[in-house]
Amino acid sequence: MLTVASLSRTQLEARLSSAGLLVQTGAFVSRIHSPLRQVADGIDTLYGDYPLHDGDAFADFHVGLRHPGGMRRWYKPQVNFDLDGQLPFEPLPQAHAFPMLEWGLNWCISTRAHAYLMIHAAVVERGGCAAILPAPPGSGKSTLCAALVNRGWRLLSDELALFRPADGVLVPVPRPVSLKNRSIDVIRDYVADAVFSVPVSNTTKGTVAHLKAPSASVARAHETARPAWIVFPRYEAGAATSLTPIPRASAFFRVADNAFNYSHMGGRGFQTLAAAIDGCASYDFRYSALDEAMAVFAALEPPR
Amino acid sequence: MAACETWRLRPGQTLQYRQWDGECVLYNDLSGDTHLLGDGAIELLLALRRAPATRGALAAILQAGFDIDAAALDHETDLLLRDLAHLNLIDTLAC
Amino acid sequence: MKRLPILVRLLRDPDRAASLSLAEWDLALRQSTSTNLSPTLLALLEERGLLDAVPAQPRAHLEWVRALATRHRQAVRFEVECIQAALVKEAAPLLLLKGAAYAMAGLRAGAGRLFGDIDILVPKTRLDQVESALMLHGWAGTGHDAYDQRYYRQWMHELPPMQHVRRRTSIDVHHAILPETAPVRPDPDKLRAAAVPIEGMPGLATLAPCDMVLHSAVHLFFDGEFDKGLRDLLDLHRMLQEFGGRPGFWDALPGRARELQLGRPLFYALRYSRRLLGTRVPDEVLDAVAPLGPGLPLRMLMDGLFGRALLPMHTSCDDAFSAAARFILYVRGNWLRMPPRLLARHLFHKAFISKKTEIKK
Repeated sequence: MLTVASLSRTQLEARLSSAGLLVQTGAFVSRIHSPLRQVADGIDTLYGDYPLHDGDAFADFHVGLRHPGGMRRWYKPQVNFDLDGQLPFEPLPQAHAFPMLEWGLNWCISTRAHAYLMIHAAVVERGGCAAILPAPPGSGKSTLCAALVNRGWRLLSDELALFRPADGVLVPVPRPVSLKNRSIDVIRDYVADAVFSVPVSNTTKGTVAHLKAPSASVARAHETARPAWIVFPRYEAGAATSLTPIPRASAFFRVADNAFNYSHMGGRGFQTLAAAIDGCASYDFRYSALDEAMAVFAALEPPR
Repeated sequence: MAACETWRLRPGQTLQYRQWDGECVLYNDLSGDTHLLGDGAIELLLALRRAPATRGALAAILQAGFDIDAAALDHETDLLLRDLAHLNLIDTLAC
Repeated sequence: MKRLPILVRLLRDPDRAASLSLAEWDLALRQSTSTNLSPTLLALLEERGLLDAVPAQPRAHLEWVRALATRHRQAVRFEVECIQAALVKEAAPLLLLKGAAYAMAGLRAGAGRLFGDIDILVPKTRLDQVESALMLHGWAGTGHDAYDQRYYRQWMHELPPMQHVRRRTSIDVHHAILPETAPVRPDPDKLRAAAVPIEGMPGLATLAPCDMVLHSAVHLFFDGEFDKGLRDLLDLHRMLQEFGGRPGFWDALPGRARELQLGRPLFYALRYSRRLLGTRVPDEVLDAVAPLGPGLPLRMLMDGLFGRALLPMHTSCDDAFSAAARFILYVRGNWLRMPPRLLARHLFHKAFISKKTEIKK
């Protein structure tokens, strides 16, 4: 299967501005349209490893990043994210086009792919066992995820834990890892050959950049993983590293609180989450030093 | 509530639940809600799944399984039954 | 003559599912997603045992909506039970309309059909009591200004929509199927008299089959909003298919339409359902209904308008005239429900006066 890297920059831009670029990211195929340089840059830098599909393939999402009509095409140019003609968001400054693509794709999955129980969480895997890191923004989940996948763990996703109801396994969608503000520098230091998109400042989340997903993770994007640990991370400057078990009922509700579609999934959602809680050891995790955090994760024992 | 009043599980409730360390999470098949219940509540629900029962019989189940002050038993039972009814988990058959 | 969109061809003839290419599936699912018909498509294919014939990727994509359809069915059932409990003191059975009726009666038209509100029909004389009972059980009027309140109560065939404070679900309480200001008046007493109980569900009823079809036709062809146009036409198609097999249905339909002054909507319903979705209608019925249609010039105009407005709302199905068609039908829809003098005042008020009051707050 050809990858995005097989295209020259010219060919990439040509596809993006005409029929669209068809790219597979784990369980989903997206057709991306955009005439904007920022989008071509981001894809060129971060999407080389992903399988490329040709023009008449089936796509799950048809997304576009384009200028709105009228004045904002020229004066302080803006970009719209559209999902097959639907505009779910307000326009953003053109400079934010690539992060908007990433947020937009996450939105597409989390609002539509109801074949899965979807939790707002990072998912990483080692030795056949997956750790799920649910967390509201600001908990340091993404920094932790970026570090883990560069210290022996496979990336399934930095934002979307997708549980398959039939058998309870996690389905990967290994896309670039989103980092903000200080985390960008922390990871630049921590990961030797880290590849980043161009940082974009003044977004609603501050300065944002995306880290390239490890090639090995992308190569294994079709491999599901069995959940073993649910870890609620919290970064606290200067804090001692601690891993504290949580009662299962409490873990159940805290994960449900972080779900995109727990309620939509009805009884099936309940059974899927209950099975996950049954099969996992759940913890609160506090950390400040990444090396210590890596050690704790390395020492995690598979439950039972 | 009269002691002869018979309670039953609302038709449609299958009691999908998990019990972990004295806490029970239960899926409500009618409303789609998920509840956190105590051990006493799930005991009553499981009893009603076996067969409808009078308030008196249900009070006896609570007394047998839990540490409840005899004086408070009736009141506790009534509160529990009222809460479970409010959640559309149980209702009464006519006396 | 222009080719029908792939989704419409598939809805017309689901057996095509076995022979669509991946590119065709890609387009069909884009059209069904934008028209909110994916759950219906899933149900249709499953009914006919065709899911296995769908290639893996589109099949997996279509399965995304299964959970939504299941959850919706559960939510409707529960909501109807709650409404029944609130209105337990009313003597008459609870008469459900539209989506809630199709769902609770297990009609094919209800399979996979998602909708936002529960609609019920009550006698006008019981409106106050019904409203009070609902409020007692947690429903509240939605935020409307004094003009809206008067608009609804004086001219409309329904109360302002009520919303349950905890569940956030909506109920529309109708006392007729068209407003007082409309040019025709289908008698609600006749509709209620012909209502049929839902088997296995004590206390619940729906309109009689002919009346259900006519109500759906009126809703589609007298209303202005066509974002649900294809879905509503599909409802008609499914109902005609299901009821068409019942003895006496076709014989009674034209006469009932005349009796309820709904001949024109029935004409359009049969015409466009046949054209777009290939519904089989007996010749005798077409002959009986033909005189109820408009003259040729108007019919050609309506063909042009409805022929566009009833297609999936997706860019692949639009031509240069589609937006205009929808707008013209929007104005027409409102005009049919309210005479021109009142309409101008209503639209003017809605556009300007309501907003100003909001700013004052």
